[in-house]
Amino acid sequence: MSWAVFVGRRLALAAASLAVLSGVVFAATAVLPGDAVSAVAGVNASAEDRARVRASLGLDRPVVERYAAWASHALRGDLGTGFVGNRPVAQVLADRLPNSVILAGLTLVVAAPAAVLLGLWSGLRAGGAADRLVTTSAQVAAGVPEFVSAALLITVLSVRLGLLPRVSLVPLGGGPFDAPRTLVLPVLTLTGVVTATATRLIRASVADVVASPYVEAARLNGVRGPRLALRHVLPNAAGPAVQALMLAAGALVGGAVVVETVFDYPGIGRELEQAVAARDIPMVQGIAMASAAMMLLILLLGDVCGRSLDPMRGERR
Amino acid sequence: MTANLEARVRPGGPRARPGRRPPLLAAAGTLVVVAIALAGPLIAPYGPAERLGLPFQGPGGRHPLGTDFLGRDVLSRVLWGGRTLVLTAIGATVVATVVGMAAGVLAGLASRRTGEVVSRLVDMLTVLPALLLILVLAAGFPGSDLAVVAAVALATAPFSVRVLGAATRRIATTGYAEAALARGDGRWAVLLHDVLPNIAGPALADAALRLVAALHLTATAGFLGLGRGAPTANWGRMVSENLSGASLSAAPFLAPTLLLVLLSVCVGLLADRFAGIASGGRR
Repeated sequence: MSWAVFVGRRLALAAASLAVLSGVVFAATAVLPGDAVSAVAGVNASAEDRARVRASLGLDRPVVERYAAWASHALRGDLGTGFVGNRPVAQVLADRLPNSVILAGLTLVVAAPAAVLLGLWSGLRAGGAADRLVTTSAQVAAGVPEFVSAALLITVLSVRLGLLPRVSLVPLGGGPFDAPRTLVLPVLTLTGVVTATATRLIRASVADVVASPYVEAARLNGVRGPRLALRHVLPNAAGPAVQALMLAAGALVGGAVVVETVFDYPGIGRELEQAVAARDIPMVQGIAMASAAMMLLILLLGDVCGRSLDPMRGERR
Repeated sequence: MTANLEARVRPGGPRARPGRRPPLLAAAGTLVVVAIALAGPLIAPYGPAERLGLPFQGPGGRHPLGTDFLGRDVLSRVLWGGRTLVLTAIGATVVATVVGMAAGVLAGLASRRTGEVVSRLVDMLTVLPALLLILVLAAGFPGSDLAVVAAVALATAPFSVRVLGAATRRIATTGYAEAALARGDGRWAVLLHDVLPNIAGPALADAALRLVAALHLTATAGFLGLGRGAPTANWGRMVSENLSGASLSAAPFLAPTLLLVLLSVCVGLLADRFAGIASGGRR
């Protein structure tokens, strides 16, 4: 399969996924009981007020018609305006998405080397006591909710030791880099989860490579230690390892909701939480599509990296 | 030498081996937390919504764990607050496993093309952040714990479908399943006698992993304030309510936090062992 066909097929699949997901999210927000009227008109609004607000938001039209209108605008790059506060969705995305990407990027910078080292180290000892320790602790660490680890980190680093600020107060109009100390706790919290997830996936692919006849032959030829790990195992495990890291990173883009809420970090996740609570359909739709698109893009990148790093080019080993 | 080499290069996850002790400590930890969660309301000294004193009083006297941000007894709220969490997580796991089992088995037994379509759909669903799903569903039915159960089940089920579909396909293409079909057994008979007994192990291991995820998501949903509303106690929500007073009194949010850590670590260890046994038994 040539590169053009490979990338083209993946892009088509990603576009189809995005289209299906937009329908699913729209249907879910539209069909479920309740709507944005309460958030816009206030809880105590009279029935007439509510009806007027509903009409002005276009909520009295059939769902299919609204979705068609949204989709045709979205295809032309217009994501509409949020019901609450009248902010253009694209503007909110432009403001908040970079902050979340910074958070995810910094997390990856810390988590990737750790996950690769741990995965390689335990994959080379597959079945041994050290491997069991690493895999089990990774499994356990991945199961602890983010807000729980955040609460523990806050207790130790911020309340007991007073080293770091408890909330990420980013100066108005500035980015998170204007207050770098506020980034430490959110990044640490996310690093734990990402490292744990990626370590398990990388270890599995390393263990597979280690069990292959190719590595066994190298071992029987007397290659061992770091040379075996770096020259023989790593190149073959690098592709799946990159894919594993990308998978973990993709989950970060949408999954940072909790961490952004805990630390009051001005990212896309917190915006999503507020939009969903207010039933602000255009905003939910825009943010959901943006995070799904990021996730699909990251997965695509992972596939491309995995393919170009794979010495076997997709052939069976 | 060869045996040594083989032991070193053996792939796969951790498995059950003769020398390994059963995870008694993890089982005991799980039992303790689940017992606190389920029986807690029976032994709680106060109701979960009773305001008894000043906010954020330190531990001691009538309140062994102090009071929370509204002056309610933390110990009582901890004892009241686990039931919904545990029951929601278990309920969601059961639903997800049943859905995953049904869809996975059907997809695994269907023609290759149908199986492909199902796995593509499942892949699409997994792109959606689980929390988005939960937020949207819970916003539709505010204050409903059942909505949280459904949402958590919906978020975890695709992974079950994927795993159990693959397991079914593996069994369905083995010699004996094909032989049973060839000698004229009906599809249902093959399903009942050849497929189901063989995927019971993987299904159980998968359910254990789903339980870990369900606990994680349920606690997070509580933290975000989803499910039944404010005066009810909920370990996840207690953390978010009392985090602001962390410098005044740590007990109100540390107590639920530590219980959640204990629960997720112990259940995680058990699930890890389950998965090891299932994969060890299969190969």
